[in-house]
Amino acid sequence: MSTLSQTWITLRGRPGRTFLTALGTALGIATIVALLAVVGGVQHSSAQLVNLGPSELGLFQAGAADPTTSILSTALIAKLDRTPGIATATPLVLLVNQLPKSPGAIVFGAGAHNFVTDGLVLGSGRLYRSPGEVVVGDTLAAELHVRLGQTLTVAHRRLQVVGIYHNGIGYQDSGAFVPLATAQAVSGRQGEATTIVIKLDATIKQTTAERIIAKRFPGTLVISDAQQAARAGINGQLIDQFGIVIVVLALVLGGIGVANTMLMAVIERRSEFAVLSAIGFSGPQIAGRVLVESILTTILGAAMGLLLGIIGAHFLVEALDAQAFVSPQVTAWDLGRGLLVGVLLGVLGGLCPAWRAAHLSPAHVLAQH
Amino acid sequence: MVGARVIVEHVSRAYGPAVVLDDVSFTLAPGEMAALTGPSGSGKTTLLQLISSFDRPTKGRILVDDISVGELSHPAQFRRSTVGFVFQMHYLLPALSAAENVELPLIAARVPRRERAQRALALLADVGLAGRARDRPSDLSGGERARVAIARALVARPRLILADEPTGSLDTAAALNVWELLSSACRNAGATVIVASHDATLAEHTDRTLRLVDGRLAQAPNGPLSSGRSA
Repeated sequence: MSTLSQTWITLRGRPGRTFLTALGTALGIATIVALLAVVGGVQHSSAQLVNLGPSELGLFQAGAADPTTSILSTALIAKLDRTPGIATATPLVLLVNQLPKSPGAIVFGAGAHNFVTDGLVLGSGRLYRSPGEVVVGDTLAAELHVRLGQTLTVAHRRLQVVGIYHNGIGYQDSGAFVPLATAQAVSGRQGEATTIVIKLDATIKQTTAERIIAKRFPGTLVISDAQQAARAGINGQLIDQFGIVIVVLALVLGGIGVANTMLMAVIERRSEFAVLSAIGFSGPQIAGRVLVESILTTILGAAMGLLLGIIGAHFLVEALDAQAFVSPQVTAWDLGRGLLVGVLLGVLGGLCPAWRAAHLSPAHVLAQH
Repeated sequence: MVGARVIVEHVSRAYGPAVVLDDVSFTLAPGEMAALTGPSGSGKTTLLQLISSFDRPTKGRILVDDISVGELSHPAQFRRSTVGFVFQMHYLLPALSAAENVELPLIAARVPRRERAQRALALLADVGLAGRARDRPSDLSGGERARVAIARALVARPRLILADEPTGSLDTAAALNVWELLSSACRNAGATVIVASHDATLAEHTDRTLRLVDGRLAQAPNGPLSSGRSA
């Protein structure tokens, strides 16, 4: 019989304590997984704000809080067009909170004929031709029960729906596209854009183009990967750091909880550890048994926590009323991190009890017994 | 296997002002079986704990095969390799079966799993518990628990067996059975055995009797201290 199987038997022998300890860990891990899933969902959604193709770059204002708050002058377009390696550049305005009936939807302001709007797959109708027209993503159309010929209010302006598209990109399908001039007027940003999307020549390497643009356009930030866009903004960095803080907090608080429970278990079973010492178990061997017990308990808790976290993430998004624009993203890395935290909790929470158990004097303990 | 030689030289143990053992000296030859008798509180358990390295003497020294047990830096290693201890309360781990309890000293000694199981089952058979190997301590009678505890003490083939009131909670028949098991361990395995008991009649089964009164040996240390089996 191995130490592991003996530990398992010991844990099974105390189902109540094992379950409660595991549950404590599970709740901590579930919180981590749920929050990481939501953070991941937010980042994923942010990344989809600008859907960059293989030879495309996004230009943002450096130091913006997040991609939607970037402000660039459209005067840069002409200069960009003259830059070697750039095939074409087109401005985009992103409008958030401008659809009263669907506050989470993003409205994209873009010129009528460029490589961005040319990529919209219109299922019905046509692309806009005048400032009073709008094309709507099929998800948003279904949500608002909007059909061709009806009107959609964007920031108090009633625009006629002339097309319904499907892109397969969640953010765009649950949003709408309006003419650039309309978006600029609505946001009061005449002559400005949120971002400029750049299409590169086939002859130039992406990294070379990035270097050239960064040198020629100080104060801007070049993004080549959609995920970078999410992380580049200060808010994105804050979200990343928020995730780390959650993990550290869960480790500290969970570690204290597990340590407390394991310490109680060691105190309750002083005579057991004293007997092990008396029959020849060394301090490290006894400490190892306590650590294995602690880790096994927290791994059980982590397994429960992963399941609870995945379910909890969806409840959390619903509770925040953010299901329209955030879909929780649970990655294998998130689950791995949850398990890793479980093991770390077991180690951290078990260290002090293991030390106590390893240093029990058989003579003193058995005399008290 | 040859039992351990035990030399106790002017050993005292005090807890603050309370002197529990006072200048105790005696020698046990390898393979000898001794009864340690005396009333409750006379220091029997303390003496066994000092010999087994659970505790250290305040004065004097204890040699087991020339090893000064009070000065060991790794006492667990000494206990694992040399000592088998039978506790008064048996102290079997309740979550484990009889066989798993017997295996414990072999786990400490890192004996391979298959050999551990074989040796534990063989010893349980020797103590008449072949059919109870899978039973938990709560399913065993007091006498059966004592026999499991003896099997656990013997399984690592120690050269010194120390038993602290192993028959304290047993009826006469079960107590005699336990004494017989310990005697046969001494005879067959050649181990040196010290059994603490307040029951002087059971001490008749041993080679020698060491009688403690108020922490001191009542008779001369190395002679025939009282009547015994071989006296």
